[in-house]
Amino acid sequence: MIFEHLYSALAVFYEPLFMRRAMAALFLLSWAVSGAGVLAVSRRMAFFPDAVGHSVLAGLAAGVVLNLDPQTAVAIFGLLLGLMITFLTRRAKLASDTSLALVFSGAVALGLALISRNPRATAGLTRWLMGDILTVGNEEIAALLVLDIIAYLIFFLFYNRLILSAVFPAGLEKTPWADYLFGAFLAVVSVLAVQVVGVLLATALLVTPAATGRVLAASGRSFFWLALFFSLAAGQLGLWLSRRPEVNTATGATVVLVSLAFLALASLFRKLRGRI
Amino acid sequence: MKAAVELTGVGAALGEFEVLRDVTAQVPCGRQTVVIGPNGGGKSTLMHCLLGQLPHTGRITFDPLKPRLGYVPQRPDFDRFLPLTSGEFLALGLARKPVWLGISGGIKKRIDEALELVKAEKLFKKPLGGLSGGETQRILLAAALLTEPDILILDEPATGVDVYGEQLLCELLDGFKDRFTVIMVSHDLATARAHGDWVICLNRRVVAQGPPLDIFQPGILSATFGLHQGLIFGSEQEPPISSPLVGAA
Repeated sequence: MIFEHLYSALAVFYEPLFMRRAMAALFLLSWAVSGAGVLAVSRRMAFFPDAVGHSVLAGLAAGVVLNLDPQTAVAIFGLLLGLMITFLTRRAKLASDTSLALVFSGAVALGLALISRNPRATAGLTRWLMGDILTVGNEEIAALLVLDIIAYLIFFLFYNRLILSAVFPAGLEKTPWADYLFGAFLAVVSVLAVQVVGVLLATALLVTPAATGRVLAASGRSFFWLALFFSLAAGQLGLWLSRRPEVNTATGATVVLVSLAFLALASLFRKLRGRI
Repeated sequence: MKAAVELTGVGAALGEFEVLRDVTAQVPCGRQTVVIGPNGGGKSTLMHCLLGQLPHTGRITFDPLKPRLGYVPQRPDFDRFLPLTSGEFLALGLARKPVWLGISGGIKKRIDEALELVKAEKLFKKPLGGLSGGETQRILLAAALLTEPDILILDEPATGVDVYGEQLLCELLDGFKDRFTVIMVSHDLATARAHGDWVICLNRRVVAQGPPLDIFQPGILSATFGLHQGLIFGSEQEPPISSPLVGAA
């Protein structure tokens, strides 16, 4: 019912229903990924989504072995991986890039090993590798809405603490749960980003708007809002461009290219502004 | 002498390496205590024990029993290009409202007061990554003051700070006397001598402790640093009050 209202409102922009759904999905996704990206970039965890993305293979294979629905299996596996990276970074006193590299390769190796025993697990793998925004259904859109609500609860309650521990870790009392909460959250956001643009581009979806915001922002406040603006703009412009007959490219890839173009323009703008 | 901190037989290890052994010392209440000693002598380790960040043996008792500890670290290593103003940095530890929604009037007022206290009124809107060593140090000091500490712990506050910045920092710390206890780690003997009320010489164990005049004797310093302190004090018994290096013979 709600969805019908939403889709009829979006009819102004696009006629095909799948385009209206994609528009809503990208809009909702932008709110969560931009803030998560800002935190990931600030906490030097930009490769986190990549590591989680590469666990998709293992997640799918584990799903087949454990007889789970692939989507659930991938989400659970991604979540566990996020928690493991956080644990290794905190406990094993490894730099976050080292623990990311270890977990990343471990997850891929596990995935390949499981798949070599169960070749069936590769069914539907392409969808995860490439992403598929144009086939999202009501369930995914509802999931994105729930994700946004959780994301803004986290941004509202823990944003200051998460940024502070990035800048000034020594000054904080010990609050490991905040790190684990963020690790779990970032893992879930990454899995959803993988569904939209695929394993190869999930990192770009999270990190590029944050990087663009960082280039232009003069304060922490403008950093957050600029990242959101560029995430929304790249999502919608990328969707629109990808369906133009003269462009006609994969939507996920187009969104990422538009996002990178914004980053290039922002860097140029800053350089020119510095000269004036 | 009323002690704000009593250390009794404190020991600490980093992995297998024993850094502190049987450290017994007092930190006088409301005064400035300077912990001096060579690199690797366990000064920073002792601070981490005081902050409860490192497990230790022995006993550390505070007065009051559970004091609020303010901590000013050595210049922290953070991403200098992270968009964050100094004011926002101070709000991070203070405000419930996330910085992406701005800083409320009440919090802004408290931050302004703390900045005024450390003579950094103009730094509110300046990016944190663009501050000089001395400015960063004063912002970190303001952050520690905002926690309204009973005990303020400073780890090598003069690192990366020019002479003017160091002088300003010392003046600020002098102004806090009697308001709260200050414990400062320093390898700068001139600072310790000029501004400390109490000096603890630490080289994995306590070599000596007492008022600066008793401590700044060549015998004690060479026992602490294992150096021939004639290089610093020249041939005179009484060391000079201003920069000792200038007075080198």
